[in-house]
This record gives sequence, C-alpha cells and structure tokens, in this order.
Amino acid sequence: MKVTVKRWHAIAQWQWDTGTRSDPNTEQEGAGNQTQNDDDEDGDGDVCGICRVAYEGCCPTCKVPGDDCPLIWGECSHVFHMHCLLKWIGTAASKQQCPMDRRTWVTAERKVAAS
Amino acid sequence: MGSISTRRLAKELRELSLECPTGIKILSANDFHTWRLSIEVMGDSLYQGQVFALQFIFDAQYPIASPEVTFVSDEHYKAPIHPHVYSNGHICASILGTEWSPILSVAAVCVTMQSMLASCKKLERPPDNDRYVRHAPKSPKNTRFVYDDDTV
Repeated sequence: MKVTVKRWHAIAQWQWDTGTRSDPNTEQEGAGNQTQNDDDEDGDGDVCGICRVAYEGCCPTCKVPGDDCPLIWGECSHVFHMHCLLKWIGTAASKQQCPMDRRTWVTAERKVAAS
Repeated sequence: MGSISTRRLAKELRELSLECPTGIKILSANDFHTWRLSIEVMGDSLYQGQVFALQFIFDAQYPIASPEVTFVSDEHYKAPIHPHVYSNGHICASILGTEWSPILSVAAVCVTMQSMLASCKKLERPPDNDRYVRHAPKSPKNTRFVYDDDTV
C-alpha cells in the first residue's frame, strides 16, 4: 500500500534538553519555537559534531529520532548522538577520548537538573 | 550507499558548494569515495602562486575512520616541497593519523594543510624521503609516522 501525505497538522514538538539553550519555558511561548527549529536546519548550532545531523534528528544508522536514538553527555559537557559517540569510542584510534577536546571520555550521570 | 559516510559527505559537499574556505576549490567530488580539492596558500609564503591538489579517499566508516589524504603528484600537480610531505604525496601530519577526530572534516583538513604550508620556513623534503618513497605502502594510513616536529 502506498500512502501519500496530503496534509499534516503538528500539535506538539519536542527537543532534547541539552542545557545549552536559554530558558526552555520562554521558548515554549509561541513563535519562539519556530525560530528554534529553523536554527537546527542551519547545521551549525545544535548538531552532533560527529554526524552533523541535528540532535533532534537521529544518527545515520537509525531511522526514527527520539528515545531510540538518544543523546549522550560527557563530563566535559560535550554532547553527541549516543550511537555516534559509541562508534567512535569503540575504535582503538579514539584512545577513549572526547572528539572535541581529546580528554578521556567520561559519561555524565545527568547533565542538567530538571528545570 | 546508506552508510554513515554517505550522509555526512553529502552534507559536507553541500556546504562546500555553497562556500569553500579561501584558497580551496573542489576539483572533483563525483562520488562519496574519492574527492580532489585544489589548495593555494593565501598571503606571504614560500608557495606563492603555486596550486596543489589534495586527494581524499573515504571508506564507509568516515568520519569515525580518518580519510586517506595525499597530495596529488601527476602530470598536472606536484606535491609541495615541505619537510612533512614526501615526494609521492604522502603527508606526515598527526591529524591524519593518531590525532584524527570525527569532528574534523574535509574543509578542516584542507585548512590545516594550508597553514602547514604557510608556516614553512625552508623548501625541503623530509630527510628520509628517498628511503620512505622506495618502500612506502600504497596508502599512507598504513605508515606509522612519528610526529616529532611541531614547528611547521
């Protein structure tokens, strides 16, 4: 069966709380959300440094964004798609270092307190 | 296709097509396996007026695995004379070997090569050039370089 989407109506959107954005409460107020989303498409702001896909997208080996393709935080404060980082850490060449600062990677327990 | 490298390279190519760093131009990027870019050193340097070509060969694991990067040495392009560049085009640079990081990119490598050339003080080949080139593996990724000189 082939389905053609003719129209869609978004009723909610989600974002990972990477702790780098300004107050999430203000962002929920209407128009702010729209610009936030546009930033992601630019590629420079909130993308995984390894695959260069937005945090809210998924790593190149996954098909569906969300809980099945989560982010991972290092104690050095750097954030990646978990699958991307694990692929890197799994290689001998990584020397277990964070791709950003080459410090030994230590996964942070919980990066930001729930706001 | 569909590998981790394809999507990342497609994105890099899109960005390079929109805007290349100064002195860098795409010569060929017809697939996601081999790219060639021309590189010129801007400003005062020992390489004024010279254009070089860098060849990138990617495997399906890029950017987790480093690309194989060499200076092209053929009838059109010559490898620059530089203490870290062998006459067969192989480059001794830590970021292409043990210090590779998946956050690096084609553009980042090109810019690093530009600055490596820009800071060169004397046009000379590596001291072991002849011996290395005679026995060098086809891919420099199979060479174990010793990075002992941080000055250029």
